Amino acid sequence: MGRMNWKGTCAGIVLAGLGAFGAAEAYGQLISNSPRNGSVVKTDAVQYLFPEQVSVPAGKPAPVTLHFRVAQGLHINSHTPSDEFLIPTTFSIPDGMGVRLIDASFPPGVIISLAFDPKTKLSVYTGEFAIHARIVATRGNHLVEGKLRYQACDQNQCLPPRTIDVPINVIGK
Amino acid sequence: MRRNTLVLGATLLILAIFAWAGWANWEYRQQEAEKLLAGAAQGELVPAPGGGTLNYVSPLGGKPAPNFTLDDLSGKKVSLASYRGKAVMINFWATWCGPCKIETPWLVELRNKYAGQGFEVLGVDTEGDDLVASDKAGWAKAGANAGKFVAEMKVPYPVLLDGDSISRDYGGLDDLPASFFVDRSGKVIAATVGLTSESDIEDNIRKALAE
Repeated sequence: MGRMNWKGTCAGIVLAGLGAFGAAEAYGQLISNSPRNGSVVKTDAVQYLFPEQVSVPAGKPAPVTLHFRVAQGLHINSHTPSDEFLIPTTFSIPDGMGVRLIDASFPPGVIISLAFDPKTKLSVYTGEFAIHARIVATRGNHLVEGKLRYQACDQNQCLPPRTIDVPINVIGK
Repeated sequence: MRRNTLVLGATLLILAIFAWAGWANWEYRQQEAEKLLAGAAQGELVPAPGGGTLNYVSPLGGKPAPNFTLDDLSGKKVSLASYRGKAVMINFWATWCGPCKIETPWLVELRNKYAGQGFEVLGVDTEGDDLVASDKAGWAKAGANAGKFVAEMKVPYPVLLDGDSISRDYGGLDDLPASFFVDRSGKVIAATVGLTSESDIEDNIRKALAE
């Protein structure tokens, strides 16, 4: 009986040791994963969704609809913001890519007001939105890097204006 | 009895090994975490002790505020060092920032209330974050917007331009508004990011004044 007690005690101590080791390991994980100790990973406020590739008749105006998504909890100003100081969302295609942007049609903004300032109405995009562009491409295969400029905020703070690439493979036939 | 002693000894040895391994692992991760934190030198949002809200933790807390010299709207050079002996609120803002617009009248009011006790606000305009140096029209528009905004808001304190050039020294400011409260000795005693309440701002001003 006494021998059994010793064995039991020893097994208990070993298990406790294993538990302590596991706890220390888990705490170590907690420390290294804690947001206090790691840099905050920030993603773009706006993501380009599609299309990746379009075929258009060479030398003729052709419509292309570009789809984007605004990250949850954020909004960006529409193309026609409600205040002169606010930065509008714009789209452009740099020269020399074999593709020219004739014009771009933006959706109307959703009118919102924020908790910190209920009186002020803002014209914004949230969630998914699409820009209807008209382009003219020369004959051939063109890897176009369009540019979307926007400025995003959430309820209490704003991110600086950003310009993201909008890569489209345009095939002029 | 002798066998029991041996078993106990072996068990204690195993336990000691486990304890050492656990401690060594914990120590290693602590050091790695500290290295990461030191390397980042960037402010971050962390949950408040009670949960719910996020508090801004600045790497500058308790440290001397990095000095800077920037042009004000009239082109005059203004340096932080020239305000030594005063409590200063360094407020990073931009005209395109809605929450900044909300808090500006509060700053004007609080500045006027505490100016007599040795308090000043330095508004640091961070207008052109994605403007390239060659975009002269863009910079001119940014400067004009700042001037117009300041006139509309009747801002009585110095407003400095090109805050982007010093934002890295202040922890890499990705979000606006961002404010740093500097005491009379030049140390950062509080920092906030995002819109807070007027009373929170006033509390930090009082701390900076050491009331």
